[in-house]
Amino acid sequence: MENRRRDVAVNAVGHAAKAGKTPAFERQRQRFFWLLLAPVLAILAVVTLLPTLYLLVTSFTPLNLANPATAWDFSDPLVNYRTLLTDDRLHNSFWVQAKLSVVTVVLQLLFGLVVALLLNMRTPLMNALRTSFLVPMVLPPIVVAIIWKVLYSPDISPAWWLFQLLGWNVQTPITDASWALTAIIVADTWEWFPFTMIIILAALAMMPEEQREAAEVDGASIWQLTWYITLPYLKGTLLVAGLFRLIDSIKTFPLIYILTDGGPGSVTEVSNYYIFVQSFSFSYIGYSAAVTMVLLAMIVVLSWVIIRAVSGGSNAQE
Amino acid sequence: MKRDDRTAAETAASAGLFRRDVLKFALAGSALAAVGLRAPAVLANAKPFEGVTLRGACFQHIFHTYIQKLLPEFEEQTGMKVEFDLQAFPVYNQRMDLELSTHGSSYDFCNITHSFSGRWISAGWLTPLNDFLNDPNKTAADFDPDDFVSGTQIAYIDANKQLHGFAWEAGAMLLAASRFDILDKEGIAMPTTLAGMIDVCKAIHNKNGVAAFVADRLHHWNFPPYLMGFGGKVFRDPPRDLMPVLDTPEVIEAATYYSELLSNYCPPGVLSYTDDQAMRNQLAGRANMRINAMSWLLPLAKSDDSRVKDTVRFALMPEGPAGGFPACNANAYGIPAGSNQKDAAWAFIQWATSKKTFERTALEMGGLATPRRSIIEDPRYKEALTINGQDIASMYLDVLERSGREGYMAYRTVPIWPQTGEKINKAIERIASGQADAATSMKAAQAEAVEDIKKAGVKL
Repeated sequence: MENRRRDVAVNAVGHAAKAGKTPAFERQRQRFFWLLLAPVLAILAVVTLLPTLYLLVTSFTPLNLANPATAWDFSDPLVNYRTLLTDDRLHNSFWVQAKLSVVTVVLQLLFGLVVALLLNMRTPLMNALRTSFLVPMVLPPIVVAIIWKVLYSPDISPAWWLFQLLGWNVQTPITDASWALTAIIVADTWEWFPFTMIIILAALAMMPEEQREAAEVDGASIWQLTWYITLPYLKGTLLVAGLFRLIDSIKTFPLIYILTDGGPGSVTEVSNYYIFVQSFSFSYIGYSAAVTMVLLAMIVVLSWVIIRAVSGGSNAQE
Repeated sequence: MKRDDRTAAETAASAGLFRRDVLKFALAGSALAAVGLRAPAVLANAKPFEGVTLRGACFQHIFHTYIQKLLPEFEEQTGMKVEFDLQAFPVYNQRMDLELSTHGSSYDFCNITHSFSGRWISAGWLTPLNDFLNDPNKTAADFDPDDFVSGTQIAYIDANKQLHGFAWEAGAMLLAASRFDILDKEGIAMPTTLAGMIDVCKAIHNKNGVAAFVADRLHHWNFPPYLMGFGGKVFRDPPRDLMPVLDTPEVIEAATYYSELLSNYCPPGVLSYTDDQAMRNQLAGRANMRINAMSWLLPLAKSDDSRVKDTVRFALMPEGPAGGFPACNANAYGIPAGSNQKDAAWAFIQWATSKKTFERTALEMGGLATPRRSIIEDPRYKEALTINGQDIASMYLDVLERSGREGYMAYRTVPIWPQTGEKINKAIERIASGQADAATSMKAAQAEAVEDIKKAGVKL
């Protein structure tokens, strides 16, 4: 009975295809597909698309919460975009963001890779250490910020207690214009290198042993194994981990809010922190929406470039 | 010290600020007093707000803890239930800014933060209280609005002569030396001039391992008194002319002076200090002098954690070449424009800022940063604020009255103050951290402030 029904369906599809029409079954299947997808798309539109559209529309107004009449003032729709072209503090925040993102992503990939390679040796000590390395990542970001605030505050920091014992006069990095960004980078790297580590560790667990074994038989050293076998295998993984961290680094907030408040001056003020100040401290919603749209565009372009690079890498592997 | 016994109305009016308005309140207060000391009709009824739940938002402060302890009596009397939503100071300001801008009804009463008062009031986000005050059925005859010291109320009166809040807390800037014994040993008195203060700092810095000075990172609060002391201004003529004037020679000189204090005479890391961190340094005797509101200095004498109770001494803020301009602020209770329970909210505000409540919070519980003159002049208050032989109550009243009389705190209550204050913060950080000299940094602050104020739609 079942076979007969399938034959009928196949014949129907064949006849319809010959006539150049979409078979009824296929149409039904597509309708059903869209019916299932519609609620999800609707929710996505309401949750993601509408706010983004609202943000875009708002960016063409000088909306200031203290003056509600500005909400629908489109008399000079490009005023915010013109302003941001000459906003030196915003330009500085992009530069600070670039430095923070590039250095933290590189460091997190580097530390993540080294620790993952060590943990992959699967000695009892490494197995015991594996979970402890994940602790920084699972702590709430605000707790991480407070931990580093304590560490960087000379009057309560155990590090400065030690420095005092040793007779060293060390300035705290968070109020030193030359070191404040480094202080944020160190804390951010500590917090997030476990993320790259765990992704790399998962990839290493899936790595076929044959190539390594063959190389070992040929007399390859541990460095040669790592350089010629392991790292090429991990290339795609590293790119994906780097992409995730790059996008996430643009959202860095609690560390800056707690440790430096963007200072001293503006040396640690990244773009999203600047947007926060503009919108929540000064209520310049229209202007902050314009800056957000520019930042969004930059992230989309950056993601596209990196995704192209990642998929290119995968194709090469295949 | 000469006692200034003028009324709030007279002192504010003499500054040329809202003259008619303050006089109107004084007259209204007197008229109400003439009606006789009786409770308003609405509160004379047994439990007039039975079943009402009142929601209020404030930043965390010990005063609200006291109020919450006293609330059961008020709830029993009125029948309403009062719920507090308390948040950290910066979080509160940001959230309330958004909440008020939506004209939401989430809160029936709220704190009006001093530095946001101009912005929130001029935007029409708060309910004028004049009608309540003038209605004997809603306001007790003994509420006596004229009893609030002038400097604590000026910020809550708008350009249309409407009053929007009553202070629950007042801040008056004083100088406190936690380790006066170090000065005393050197034969140095408490400094009375800014030039003298630098000399004191030079003489005592790091003596006995104690930094000469300490401050917190809220430079927009700490710095303007120095700026005015050197003859500078924040705005040209607030609230009428809001053109910032942050790059004048006087301001640059003041910024150089203040940054030198921070860079050379404070503990390491001072640029990141919160209010509490700065206070802890003084409490532990690790830092000596600090200029700030009395609330942050009194714990040196009153807190159980203080190691400097016997050595702390107070003084008025030292004067600059142009005089003394110690900062004064007051935070007030107000009613959001969107509140649906305004009568109940007014009943609460009236009770929370009444003489009787302040008597208990200030004289019995220890919340001494009070805005009512009758409490400040109470012998029990004087006694509580006589510390190591010094009459701190008189200093406190002097600062509150001076700022009200001279009106020099007007810069802090204009709608664009939050933006401008932030520019001052950044400028001082740049100077004190060595990124820029005072002239460059203050010129940059001036340019940024002008741009930001234009964004707010203010014509300069």
